[in-house]
Amino acid sequence: MSTTRELIAELRRRLGEDEPLPPPAPALPIPPPPKRVFRAVKAQSNYLREAAEHTTALVGIGRVGTRYATEVTLQFQSELAVAQNAVASLLPEGWREAEGFLPLDTRVRDHEEYLLRPDLGRRLDERSLLLLEEHAERNVDVQPILADGLSAQACVQSGSSVLNSLTAECARLGLTVGTPMCARFARVWLQDEIGQAVGAKVAIIILGERPGLGTGDGLSAYLVHSPAIGNTDGDRNMISNIHSRGLLPDRAGVRLAALAKAMLEQGLSGVKLKLPVAATEVDSSAIHSRPALVELVP
Amino acid sequence: MILEPIRPKILSVQRIPHAHEEVLRAYGANPAKHTSLGLVTCDQDDSTYVALDEATKHALVDVTYARSLYAGAEYSSGRLSGEIIGVIAAAGPTEIEVGLSALIECLEHDACFYHGDDRGEIALFPHVVTSIGHYLAAESGLEFGSSMAYLVAPPIEGTIAVDRALKEARVRVAKLFTPPTETNYMAAWLSGELSECKAAASAFAEAVLEVGRNPRSQ
Repeated sequence: MSTTRELIAELRRRLGEDEPLPPPAPALPIPPPPKRVFRAVKAQSNYLREAAEHTTALVGIGRVGTRYATEVTLQFQSELAVAQNAVASLLPEGWREAEGFLPLDTRVRDHEEYLLRPDLGRRLDERSLLLLEEHAERNVDVQPILADGLSAQACVQSGSSVLNSLTAECARLGLTVGTPMCARFARVWLQDEIGQAVGAKVAIIILGERPGLGTGDGLSAYLVHSPAIGNTDGDRNMISNIHSRGLLPDRAGVRLAALAKAMLEQGLSGVKLKLPVAATEVDSSAIHSRPALVELVP
Repeated sequence: MILEPIRPKILSVQRIPHAHEEVLRAYGANPAKHTSLGLVTCDQDDSTYVALDEATKHALVDVTYARSLYAGAEYSSGRLSGEIIGVIAAAGPTEIEVGLSALIECLEHDACFYHGDDRGEIALFPHVVTSIGHYLAAESGLEFGSSMAYLVAPPIEGTIAVDRALKEARVRVAKLFTPPTETNYMAAWLSGELSECKAAASAFAEAVLEVGRNPRSQ
């Protein structure tokens, strides 16, 4: 949101204008990672050649003297730009409501504060606590929470898809699922406060992950058993790289639900959890369908 | 409805990849340094000044020429004239392209006028530039990167409102454009901390609305 728009919205509220500002023009979409073709490097080992076929990471890119080739540097810069755009993206206004999510906010007021104050992103504001109290289903097995995290773009792009697959799989396993909700300016640990407030046995927060090179559309999911403020990262399990070139969003729910079920059975989560097979087996179809960003021409 | 945004209309965007030396010179560019020009016309002059400045933050471009057209968009000389012509110059067409896209993004998503009354007869521009680029820095004499409240309103509303803004926020005047200007508005560039610029813009907007409601104050 632009600075001026923010202050106009505030002024309108103060002057008693009930209607919210008309939504701004939708933000430009983040372009997919650029696809570049690198020349084969003569001295390249077979190992690198094969490794490059299995990852979108910049491996096997060779060198020119002591430096990277110009085209590699350009690719690096453009992928970095994709990542930075993703961090700068915001949830479109009204999106959460339109998707039927309970719209929750943290104590963060704007995007800059969100980046600078992780602590505020881990706590709900007063209004959201009331919303939870009034509208959220209580004492469920699994409470899914969608959030923007460090890539609102990823949340908008595939958040619903992950959530739907999770809900369907939970239903199949006979687990009760809480009210769908979406938090803005949220950090992972927010799941503790939300889970605690609704009395969920397992809280799952699905949020845009810290973008890597060329990957602005990745989601991560963090799961915690007996969510409560004060839990540490040792109490959590997580799945990362939920995007079209990693774990496919519409399949992620299967693994998440399997993890949640194991947590419920073992009564714990985190490093002590014995991982169920269903959550660890490699989904080979997804890996083979990755389009390689780095292609080596013989 | 008060303070409804009035979206600027971009009327024309043109590029001259290799401009004639005389044209470069006439439009403030330096042929030794600049080769390409990007030109834009729009129906809101002040939104465009802000957008031109934004371009200088994104690309190696200079705003060499930016002039409001007389009497404003309602009385313009042609379908594509609008209220302003802005020209950016750069060493090559790539920079122009990056500059233009930043400029357009700014016009589409950020800078705009707002309605100051129900009938749509008063428009104001209570804009805060979080950090100014090279163009506004050069024009205002402020340092590159400082915050600015860029305030525009019709003559009498604006005059009362600037006075109010200066009293309510810790800002100082960088430049004051008394009426009439080309478009018959008045404008002020105020500088200070970002929070103070916001307070100034807010006070300015509120005062413009007040004068509109109560034109013959006792």
